[in-house]
Formats: sequence, C-alpha cells, structure tokens
Amino acid sequence: MLSIQGLSVNYGPVKALTRVSLDVPRGEVTAVIGANGAGKSTLMRTLAGLVRPAEGSAFLDGQLLTGHKPEDIVRMGVALVPEGRSTIPELTVDENLRLGGLWRTRAERAVSHAEVFDLFPVLGQRRTMRADTLSGGERQQLAIGRALMCAPECLLLDEPSLGLAPLIVTQILDLVKRLSTEVNLAVLLVEQNAVTALREATQGVVLNLGQVVMSGPAAEIASHEELRHAYLGY
Amino acid sequence: MTTFIDYLLGGVGSGAIIALMALALVLTWRATRVVNFAQVGQAMFTTFIALSIQTATGNWFVALIGAMVAGALLGVVVQFLVLRPVNRMDTSGAIIATFGVLIALQAAAGMIWGGDSQAFPQPFDNSAITLFGQEWPLSIYDLVVITLAAVMVIGLTLLFTRTSLGLAMRATAFNPEVARLSGVRVSRTLTIGWALAGVVGAVAGVLVAPSSTISPNSFDILLVFAFTAAVIGGLDSLVGAVSMGIGTGLVISLVSGYSDSSNAPVVALVLLAATLLLKPEGLFGHTKARSV
Repeated sequence: MLSIQGLSVNYGPVKALTRVSLDVPRGEVTAVIGANGAGKSTLMRTLAGLVRPAEGSAFLDGQLLTGHKPEDIVRMGVALVPEGRSTIPELTVDENLRLGGLWRTRAERAVSHAEVFDLFPVLGQRRTMRADTLSGGERQQLAIGRALMCAPECLLLDEPSLGLAPLIVTQILDLVKRLSTEVNLAVLLVEQNAVTALREATQGVVLNLGQVVMSGPAAEIASHEELRHAYLGY
Repeated sequence: MTTFIDYLLGGVGSGAIIALMALALVLTWRATRVVNFAQVGQAMFTTFIALSIQTATGNWFVALIGAMVAGALLGVVVQFLVLRPVNRMDTSGAIIATFGVLIALQAAAGMIWGGDSQAFPQPFDNSAITLFGQEWPLSIYDLVVITLAAVMVIGLTLLFTRTSLGLAMRATAFNPEVARLSGVRVSRTLTIGWALAGVVGAVAGVLVAPSSTISPNSFDILLVFAFTAAVIGGLDSLVGAVSMGIGTGLVISLVSGYSDSSNAPVVALVLLAATLLLKPEGLFGHTKARSV
C-alpha cells in the first residue's frame, strides 16, 4: 500500500499542496480528481521524487519514499508515467521500453518486455519504429509499458487521457484496472476527466487548491451532486 | 586535377583528427548542453602527459593509453569544476566557465612543461607512401590516424546503439527527466559522458601533436576547426561531427594548398558564420525533429 501522510509542497510563496493524506491500496485503482491547478500533478511529481515536499511523507509498504531521488524511488517500486509525451520520440519503441528498469538483470527485463508486448500487442508490432511515429494512444501505452518495465509495486498515472479519444482512454484504463488486480498493483490515477476516472476507480479523492476536500468510494463521489458542481464543474 | 586529388587526400588525416575533437565537443554538448571550450586545453594537457610518458618509456602506445586515462580523469574534474558550482544557473554560465578552465589549463601546462614549443616524436613513418609507382599524399602515420579515428567512431557508435550505458546516455541527452523516472542515474551518466569526451579529445591531441609541435597554446586552432565542424554538423549529432570534421579537414587542405595555410582559419570562420545564418540547427541537428 502507498500511504501519503500530511504532504505539503510549496513553490516559493505558493502553497501547491497542504497536508494531503491518502492511502492507495494494492489491487485497485485510486483516482485523484480535481480542476486544473488543484495540485494533482504536483502530488504525483512529489511522490516520484521530482519535487521535494516542505513537510509530510510517503511510504510504500512501510518504506519511506520522500527524501529519496527519483532514480531510487523507481527502484523502490514506485513508477510514474508523467503527464503528456513521456516517451522519448528519438528512440525506438524497443529502446523506450528497454530504458525502463536498466538496473534489473537481463533475464528479469526480458520477462517484463514479453509481458508488456502481451499487454499492448500494438507495441510488439511497432518495436523497431521511432516513438514519434506512433499515435497518441500508442505512445501512452508505450509510456505505461516503460513504467511496467521497472517492475513497480505502485503505478502513478498522471492524466493518461490527455489528448486521447474516449474509446482509447477507456481501453487503456480498463487494462490498467485489470493489471492492478492481476499483479496486485497499487494504482494512483490522476485525472481531470472525472467521469472516466471515477468509473474505473474503486476509491476517489477530490483535490481542490492543494487540499483533500473529499475521499471515499468512487461511486459515492461520482453521485455527489454538490461536490460535482463545486469542484468538478459539471 | 592530380593536385586537387592530392590536396583532398592530404586533408583526410587532419580531417580525422578534427572529427575526433568535434566528437568530443558533441559528447559534452549532448550530455549537458555545454560547449566545452576547455576540451582543447584538456587535450593539450593530456598530450603533454603523453609526451612525458613517451620520453620516459619510449613507447607510443603506452603514451597514448596514458593520455586516454588522463583524459577521462580530467574530463571528470573539469565537469565538476565547471558544472557543479553553476548547476543552478543557465548553462551559458558554465560555457564561460569552460573558458576559465581553458586558460587555467594553459597556465598550468606552461608552469609544468614550459611555454616553448616542443617536438612530439613521430611514432610512425611519415613519408609519402609509394604505391603503383606513384607517390601518394598519405603516410603510414596518416593511415594510423585514420584507422584509430575510425575505430573510435565505430566503438562509440556501438556503445551508443548496443549497450545499456549507451541507451542511458542517449535517453539522458534527449530527456533527463524521463531517464531519471526510468531509473537511470542521470548525474553519473553525465559524468561518464564528460569522461568519454575527455578520452576522445585526448586521442585527437596525441594524434595531432607529431604533425606540428606542442605548446600550451598550440591546439587553439584545432578548437576553431573542431567547433566549426561540430556546429555545421548540428552539435547534437555524432554522424554530423564526424562527417563535417572530415569535410573541414578537406576544405582546409584545399584552401591551404591553393592559397596559403594562414587563410584556413578565416575560411573556417566564414563557414561557421554562414551555417549560423542560414541553417542554425546544423546539417544533422535534431532541433527540428524535437520541436514537432
């Protein structure tokens, strides 16, 4: 389980996150939703070690994550798929995948490589092509595949739906959900698209101006009218 | 026509050396977005070390390997001096700092080995090869230079395309954040890049030394040619650095042959200026591809 306890992040005088606490259990998807600027990406980047928190901590199965470098946090089992184009366009599909988890043994990586191709067959067909020739959906699959190559215990997905057709988003999220139950992965999904995210998630957390305003079962949040009007704008 | 071909062939050897030095500049640029103007200073310093080893042992290969080892170490030291203190500033600060390191290295070399020009002994036969009853504008030494340069280029290409370290280095150059998130130890990878550049520059220094003399400032002109080649090649591209390095060598040889060798730096600067005006991303640059 990924456990976040009282995490605060400041960008200079701006408070991006204020004492955010939440638990991300294994085997299910937890969605963090909220408007633009609510601090969702900051939360993800802090968990991955790219941003240093002012206070608070995060643990994976009791192991302290905060304070470590990104390259060590991913070794500890927390892999972030950052927002936007997080593949390297100049490298081929295979090279983008191989980049994930270079510290693991050759045999371990070969197993993960095969698993990623099972999960995303389209990547197997495009393995020698440069990543910039892929469609948006394929690139998102590649980015997730690269994270899976790191053999994570916890997967952080930052806005995977950005710029993708709804059908593809559903496909990718269904896959992620299946993955979470099959390999007992803790998945933290950040989304601006609340409807899709809450449909796939078990638990939901609403973030507003850097603070948790509500958390609970995803279905409950999805049906909470006032909350939707106030924070999600629909 | 024979003279033209003679001049061209005569330029291949010096072109190979320029290519290596340009390669060294590209390696540090790719790794850290810093043009390391101290690179020729490092090469000069390691060539003096090679000269000392050569004088002591009489073995050119030992001297070359000594220079390569020293080049790697010096690369790490220079990266630390230049990049760590100015890490939080933009890289233009670091580029100015490389000039400072260049001056410091030249001063240090002057103090250690003296400011006078010294001859670097010719390790191989440097007279023109006679083949098919004709003298060619190439010597055994030129062939050694070209072969060594080719070996280095092939070695680097294999390193970058076939090994995990090479993949990590390329990924770090293109997108350090994604590399870190994938578990690459980015700062170590960058340091390896500077060390590698130091090795390549050291080889270029040892190879160029016998054809002139060595003094604390004797490689300055090599910087002009190598920088020109690297920029025309796009600064980002190993292929660009090598091909433009050899191209620059040919142009210099032609200019020197048909006019005067003192015109060569002027021509190089004109080529550099023309590239920056007409095609600033260089002939092999990745800039365009990345802006999509």
